[in-house]
Formats: sequence, structure tokens, C-alpha cells
Amino acid sequence: MSELAVQLFESGAFGEAIWATVYMTVLSTAIAYLFGLPLGTLLYATDRGGVMQCLWLNRVAGTLVNLVRSIPFIVVMFAFLPLARAIVGTSVGNRAMVVLLVVAATPYVARMTESSLKEVDAGVIEAAKAMGASPFRIVVKVILPEAKPSLIVGAVISTVTVIGYTAMSATIGGTGLGQIAQIFGYTRNKQDIVWLSVLFLVIVVQVFQETGMLVARLTDKRLSAGRKNKKTEKIPQNGN
Amino acid sequence: MIQLQGLSKIYPSKNGPVAALRSVDLTVADGEIHGIIGASGAGKSTLVRCINLLERPTGGRVLVDGEDLTRAKPARLREVRRKIGMIFQNFCLLEQRDVAGNVRFPLELAGLKRGKADERVKELLSLVGLTDKIGAYPSQLSGGQKQRVAIARALATGPRYLLCDEATSALDPATTASVLNLLKDINRTLGVTVVVVTHEMKVIEKICDTVSVIGDGTVAESGAVSEVFADPRSSAARELILPEAYRVGKAAEGEKRIRLIFDGERPTNAPIVSSLSLDLGVPVNILYADTRLIDGRTVGQMVISLPQGGDLSEKVERYLTGKEVRFREEN
Repeated sequence: MSELAVQLFESGAFGEAIWATVYMTVLSTAIAYLFGLPLGTLLYATDRGGVMQCLWLNRVAGTLVNLVRSIPFIVVMFAFLPLARAIVGTSVGNRAMVVLLVVAATPYVARMTESSLKEVDAGVIEAAKAMGASPFRIVVKVILPEAKPSLIVGAVISTVTVIGYTAMSATIGGTGLGQIAQIFGYTRNKQDIVWLSVLFLVIVVQVFQETGMLVARLTDKRLSAGRKNKKTEKIPQNGN
Repeated sequence: MIQLQGLSKIYPSKNGPVAALRSVDLTVADGEIHGIIGASGAGKSTLVRCINLLERPTGGRVLVDGEDLTRAKPARLREVRRKIGMIFQNFCLLEQRDVAGNVRFPLELAGLKRGKADERVKELLSLVGLTDKIGAYPSQLSGGQKQRVAIARALATGPRYLLCDEATSALDPATTASVLNLLKDINRTLGVTVVVVTHEMKVIEKICDTVSVIGDGTVAESGAVSEVFADPRSSAARELILPEAYRVGKAAEGEKRIRLIFDGERPTNAPIVSSLSLDLGVPVNILYADTRLIDGRTVGQMVISLPQGGDLSEKVERYLTGKEVRFREEN
């Protein structure tokens, strides 16, 4: 290992970088969901045949989402830096980065949400309609709860995508593992530092991925109902 | 009372409009179990889904207790839907809610307090015989149990009507029988009017009072089950009710075929065919015979073939009329 790498370890720079990456990722994904979840639900519900079909609104929202989605993140960063300055008062550092990450992640989250909601069985929605549920109630009490496991999986995928974005934000002053890889590894040509950053990034991704999937699995009553209700399961079936 | 008047449903398609229903008139009286039977694609599912407007008809009126639902405002329609329960072939339970949560769902929609709702849930589960499954999730239940939960859920708000869209089509025969018994019980004890859509004759035979046969998007025939099943007149009904074995080839030139109808009103224990043969000296050939039990009555038919020659058929017909046997000439 190069001397510089050892120094980075001893000074706690790696630890700080991991923390910065995790912090930026979690915070920006959370905020992205704050906007993206309702936006995705809107995309789903207003679509043709949706519970609140409203095609013009669907088209406006869809176009907006596609517009931002079609800009590569690195360009999003340059384009929305003034917005970040307007919102958090600065265009450098992680607070500004969070704004940019939210801008890029929100449309992504919206599409993830939309696709999760589309998985909900149309029959269940119809049954709720037959019971006299209003469109709003159907969304809140049927569609979102039924899509929960899929939404969690979507959140995991979105989070991992945001981790990738955080690394890219190093190019305009974001911190974290991406920055270490860039300024200590790439700029000073220390390949071992690049690989150490890779290693830590892989670990961070793995942790998010595995815990997320575990939560999704545990909360999915279609799969894990037996875990919580072992007793019920053991009662012999009554013929019908 | 449910009245469908001049109901039509036309779907646009690439090859021009397709009529799923054309000018259907149908009345379901209070307290009865009405069956709607038809071959697949006949439009029977569309028909039942028009009753609670899950499918919006393109023409005609849907009157429930005299109110035209096609003109009802969305809020009013939701209100009316609470007195029309519905169950489906695929059960359509909320997979992420347990049994209690599923049955409670319509009560939540109705704004019932949690404690009251839980009490009602217990009542309903005991009605359908699933008290021990209160905390189970749908994925842990068998098909029959899921349908029982669906029935409990459909009955939660105390509806006057229950629509069953192929509710037993995904179940095995024994389970089907137990679910049908439950539906009949509910009809008899709670006075809920039940509309049953099915492609299975057995379902109609077992629980329905009246039946409508749907063919080609319209009501081909309607009436008491024993009557329609004993003597189906429309081609749609005949194709459905008279099994394939009945349509044994074409009659030969000059051959006369007569269908004897046992409608359960007249005695069936008299040896009609052999006495016919003995008394008239006519060699009768039995082509097909079948009986079934409907509502405790033996209903069935027998097709006999008479040899060619003179006024033989006239003699036979006079003889059958004298014996008070219902019959119909076939060809």
C-alpha cells in the first residue's frame, strides 16, 4: 500500500468519506422520495385506464420526468448548480450536492414508483371499486400498501443509483469516496487508493442492497406471512 | 330488485365496434338466486359487471331498487355499491392484509369505528366458518378459504345484493359445493339476493331459483331453473343444457324423433317407453336419456326415434298426450 493510502486511513479520511457518501445518499434519496413517490403515483393514477385518468396531466408530468431523465447526471450538475445556490445558498459542498442529487433522482424515483404500482393486480383494484371506494382511497388504502414490497425494492435500486451519482459529484466539489478516488487516486496516480475506494463503495452498496432486500422480503405478506404467523400456519387446513 | 333495460355494451376495436351486450332485458326479483349462464365470450361477465357499473354500459338503464345507476353521480354510485357486494373468480383479496384486515376493509371505507368494525369482522368470519384464520394472510389460505374471506368481505356492509362473477370456477368440485352451500345459506338466512354468473350447469342446478341463458350478447332464455333446464327452447340454451351426446347425428330421411320431457311436475315412475312400445306395437329406439335433480325434482329428457311409416308419429303423439307426458318433436 502506498504511503498516501496509509495516511488516508490513519487520518480517518476514508472513514469520513464513507460517512459523507452514506449521508449524501440517504438524505438525497429520502428527499427524492418525498417528491418522487407522489409524482410516480400521479403518473400511475392519471394514465389511461388509471383510477384518476387525466391524460393531459399525465402527459405534462410524463414529459417533465422524461426531460430531466434524459439529461446525463454530469450535465444536470452543471445545469442546476444555480438552483442549488438559490436553495441552499452555496454551490459547493455536500449541501449543494444534495440538491443536485435530488433533482436527478426524483424523476428516476417517480418512474420506479410508477412501475411498482403497475404490478398491483387489477382485480384487487376492481374489488375495491365494487366496494364503493373512492379513487383517492383506492390509491392510499389499496394500491400503495399492496405495492409496498415492490416499492421497497425500487427504493433499494434508486439508492444504489444515487450512490453512483454521489461519486460523480466529486468533479464539482462533492466529497465522499468518489472524491478520494479522484483527487488522491486519479490525480496523484495512486492506483491502490482508487481500488480501496472501489472496495468501500462495493461494501456500501452491498449493505444497502442486502438490508433493503431483506426488509422487502420480511414485510411481504405473500412470502413471509409464515414468519409472523407460524402458529396459524400449523393449524391443519379444514378441507376447503 | 335489479332491472336491466335495453342494456348494451359496445367496445371499439380495430375491426370496428364489437357488441358484447345487445339490448339485454333482465329482472332479478328480491330474495332469489338468479343464475346467468352462457358459453365463454357470451357476455355474461360483462353483464354482471354492468350491474354495479364496474363496466359502464353504452346504452340502456340499470335500475337497482328503482334507481338508474347509469345516471348516478360518482359519490352516489359509491354509496349504492356498498349495498351490492361482489365476489370474483380470483378472489381479489388484499394480499398484504390479513383475513381480519380484508374483511375490515369495506367497514373502514364506510367509516366504522375500529372497535365496532372488529366485532363485525368476528361475526362475519364465524358466518363463513373461518374464525380460526382471523390472523392468517391470503397466501396461507386455500382457494375455498380465500373465497370465504371474499364472501365475508362482500357481506361486511350488509348488502342487499351479492354478485358472484364465476366465483367457483377456480375451485375443485368439493370446495365448489361447500361455497355454493354457503351462498344458499346466506340467501335463505340473510335474505340477500344473489346473482350468480357461471359457465357451469351444476352451479345453476344446485342453488339457483331462476336462470337466464346468455348467448351472443343477449338473453336467449329466462325462467325458473327446472323449467328452462327441462325444456330449453333457444338454440343457445339447448347447446348449453343438452349435452353433446344428445345431438346424436342427423335424423335419417323420414325418421321421426321425439323428445320426452320430464319436468318433475308429472310422475316419472311410469314405464312410458315400454308401455308405448307394447300398447302401440311400435319399435322405439332410445337415442338419449338423462335426468338431473333440481330443487328436489327430477328433471330430464329422453329422445326416442320412430321408424318411418304413415301416421305412426301422430299415433304416438296422441298416446303421449293421453298419458300426460310432455314432449316435443325434434329433427
